[in-house]
Amino acid sequence: MYKIILPLRYLVNRRISLLAVSAVALSVFIASVVLTVMHGLVGDFKEKNHLFVGDCVVSTPSLVGFAYYELFVEQLEAMPQVAAVSAVVKSYGLFTMGDRHSGGVQIVGIDPIRHGRATGFAAGIHYHAGDLASLFEPGYDPNLPGCVFGIDRIFLKDDDGAYQYDPCVPHFGFDITCFPLTAKGALRGLGSVSSKRFYLSDVSWSGLARVDDHYVYLPRAEAQTLCGMGGRDKRINAIHVKFSEGVTPEEGTERVRDLWTDYRENRSGASLAYLMDTVTVSDWKRYRRASIAGMEKEETAMIILFVLVGITTVFIVFVVFYMIVTHKVKDIGILKSMGASSLDVMALFGGFACLVGLCGAALGLLGGWQFLRRVNALEDWLHEKWDFQVWDRSMFAIGDIPHDIEPSVMGAIGISAIFACLFGALLPTWQAARLRPIETLQANQI
Amino acid sequence: MTDQKKIIEIRDLHKSYQMGSTRVNVLEGANLSVRRGEFLAILGASGSGKSTLLHLLGGLDRPDQGRVLFEDQDLRDYKRGRLNRFRNRTVGFVFQFYHLIDEFNVRENVLLPAMVGKSVLAWLAGRSQPKRRADELIEQVGLEDRALHKPYQLSGGERQRVAIARALMNRPELLLADEPTGNLDSATGNSILKIFEQLNRAGQTIVMVTHDERIAQMATRAVVLVDGKTVERRVGQPS
Repeated sequence: MYKIILPLRYLVNRRISLLAVSAVALSVFIASVVLTVMHGLVGDFKEKNHLFVGDCVVSTPSLVGFAYYELFVEQLEAMPQVAAVSAVVKSYGLFTMGDRHSGGVQIVGIDPIRHGRATGFAAGIHYHAGDLASLFEPGYDPNLPGCVFGIDRIFLKDDDGAYQYDPCVPHFGFDITCFPLTAKGALRGLGSVSSKRFYLSDVSWSGLARVDDHYVYLPRAEAQTLCGMGGRDKRINAIHVKFSEGVTPEEGTERVRDLWTDYRENRSGASLAYLMDTVTVSDWKRYRRASIAGMEKEETAMIILFVLVGITTVFIVFVVFYMIVTHKVKDIGILKSMGASSLDVMALFGGFACLVGLCGAALGLLGGWQFLRRVNALEDWLHEKWDFQVWDRSMFAIGDIPHDIEPSVMGAIGISAIFACLFGALLPTWQAARLRPIETLQANQI
Repeated sequence: MTDQKKIIEIRDLHKSYQMGSTRVNVLEGANLSVRRGEFLAILGASGSGKSTLLHLLGGLDRPDQGRVLFEDQDLRDYKRGRLNRFRNRTVGFVFQFYHLIDEFNVRENVLLPAMVGKSVLAWLAGRSQPKRRADELIEQVGLEDRALHKPYQLSGGERQRVAIARALMNRPELLLADEPTGNLDSATGNSILKIFEQLNRAGQTIVMVTHDERIAQMATRAVVLVDGKTVERRVGQPS
């Protein structure tokens, strides 16, 4: 019973124990807050990337694209695992707006209804929300050829991160120019360019800075013409696929890959079959690897930093326990003189370490939870009072600071804290257990 | 008073300590036997090895050579668990510097040997009996109104009474006291000695280490440690 009572008394009566609890609580608090925010940011970023491309992408890195996609799209649509498919043209071009604005853009040719079904594209449309069929019809004149620009090209954000939309689509015309490529990858004609004026019909939001600043969506047929990919053997650059409910991206992608392999073999005799050689089938994570990898690296770096924080905590606990054991050698001697075994002494101090870890973890998690609950209110208050924002919403595509607590992450942090305490206390506890009673009880050895 | 049956005996006991670069021989062939119900005083000058002898008798230390026999059984043959049980149930220690647990109150300190001897579950199942025993002992040493006080709230004499009560908690067959009055003023020391006297009268076997001649007068038998050996001395005879 003393193995329960005594650690509790050590905890309550010794200020140094409270120091150990505080160190653990602080580490747990920092880890829970930062990991929740970081986990939220990474999760949000991944989700945006997922919504942007769908579950799986059949694509070629070549700007020439690949042909014979129509039948493959039909075969994909016949698969029970597939919910929606969108064939997409991707190329690079220039836009000019009178003589005021010009710049590079990524041209994306889509069928808006299909693309809206296969990806999260529909949710980011402002003026034609729920009416994708007329997406490329500018509200001011439906007969003009429409285009949809990434929102950051058209509208600014206020300090709260809200876009300052015009009530109606602004009447902007853009000359979009690109270099049409033949199926062999050469320019259609020496010095030839394709150029056409499009009128802004809507804006698209994806939450991905590069996309919202650089993308312009055109009707697929228009994009194919502009990029030299029209004609008898129309070409595209990618097919975005959304899987049915219950099908994981990994297993669905495997099925699509098998289908593509068969399809490619069956078409091996066709004149443009060589264009299919560069086509790969990837799930969304692999396809967006270049974007996601940076964030994941940051998350990994953060975890490494927290391992260092953990090591510091272990060291603090070690020092505190070393001091406590040094102060408590008399108690160890007393207990051993009464028949307590070395294991009993280890259990006593091990229990104390557990208690320190448990209290520290509980306090840290409670503090972290309370802080995360109020983090956005706190940031709003700081913004109002001192004009301070953690992330400038006019620059970053972040709404609220992520604060959704992941019970598994919190649990892992709490359990790690308890283990860190046990680990930190291991050596002093072992030393305490090895103490001989006469070493500690006798004022004068002889 | 004594029933002549040996409770503990030491034979040809040797013990030395390393002090820096020198080896100090403390006990060099000490022999002693203690009979049930006896009050034995071990006398000797400072550094003569009195406390070492007491620790060897109580199984707190192991001799370099020689034997400590408890009821004719060598403590060296005891396995670790049995030695722990021996320290918990068979002997009770009273130290010069009381050695109470600062975090426990008087009652908890007295209960400690009973707690050490039982698992948590066994303790929870039968804690009322040791609690009654602790209350009796606290009353016996006259501290009933101090039961909930912490050691720092007690005087030296009161602390030593708590230490005596604690040593008696598990009804030990042998009470070992290491200069129990060495840290107390004479009046307080006398009151503590009276408790020992009463306990011995009630049949408790006591081995007390002291360097105080007056205390040795109260014992039924006295031995003196000289040059690492025990020399029997008649009570009342000056050393």
